[in-house]
Amino acid sequence: MRLFRPNAAEEADVRPTLLGVVTLLFLLLFFLMSTTSGQRLGVVDLRLAAPGEAPPLPHSGLVKAVRVALAEDSAALEFEVASTDAAASSTTRELRRIEVPPKEGKLDLVALLAAVDQVHGIDPSQAEAEVVPGPEVSTTTLLAALDVVRGAAASPRFPKVSLR
Amino acid sequence: MKRRLFRSAPSEGTSGLDVGALAPMVDMMTLLLVFLLRTYSTDLAPSPPEGPFALAATGSEDARKGGIELIVSGEAIYVDGQRVASWDHVEGEGVIDPLYSRLLQARPKLRAEVHADGTVPWRQLSRVLATAQAAGVEQIALVGAYRGGM
Repeated sequence: MRLFRPNAAEEADVRPTLLGVVTLLFLLLFFLMSTTSGQRLGVVDLRLAAPGEAPPLPHSGLVKAVRVALAEDSAALEFEVASTDAAASSTTRELRRIEVPPKEGKLDLVALLAAVDQVHGIDPSQAEAEVVPGPEVSTTTLLAALDVVRGAAASPRFPKVSLR
Repeated sequence: MKRRLFRSAPSEGTSGLDVGALAPMVDMMTLLLVFLLRTYSTDLAPSPPEGPFALAATGSEDARKGGIELIVSGEAIYVDGQRVASWDHVEGEGVIDPLYSRLLQARPKLRAEVHADGTVPWRQLSRVLATAQAAGVEQIALVGAYRGGM
């Protein structure tokens, strides 16, 4: 008994199928290009601190609070780190500061990213940060800095950013 | 002598339109479609009817969720396409009165999306945000032009 058929002498012609696929893709392409815009928008949800609002409760991890003071061409990252002296069974808080100097008259986003990563590396569980822009900080600089502080969806740094 | 304008049908199946030529075309079309789906948007970016306006770039991929549409240009403030205040006539500090009055009338006002020109400074933008907050808008989002790639 033969379980398998021998190879067909002539292969089926796949060209009509492929042409159909190409035509469908072309129509989809045309439809997409006629109904969409080249400028895609991205939304950054903001949390604004109300006037007189009390600061949030301190985080239970190592990094208690993160604050990014933003100027148009520079930034300063301030954060409180808790250190515990096991012998004295006491916990102290140390305020540290990382300066991000200007680079070619602009905010050095690479240096800011390194500073934010450094703080995030100390306590990855800390998700909140406060950004305090200066009065002359442009929206372009603000959004760029917010992107750095928040991080991407796949690798967030401080996704809960509040503006003060 | 009779001139032949058309070739006769090829006798062999492999001549003419080749399968090997169609496969890269399908690949290319698929790549183009994926590129368009990733980078293009069905949301048209709103812009003020007058004056220069360019959204700041952002890497956020979050999509718009609707709400009150606030446009802040270097010259004026617009709510849902209507000009409500000109920066030349906005005085003092704190809440911007015409914007506050307009936002009080807006229903519903759970959410507002702010489309600000990239050059607008924080001293102006913060007043718009504070006014929206004072008028009872619960969620405020800043909209930028997505600059991410593939």
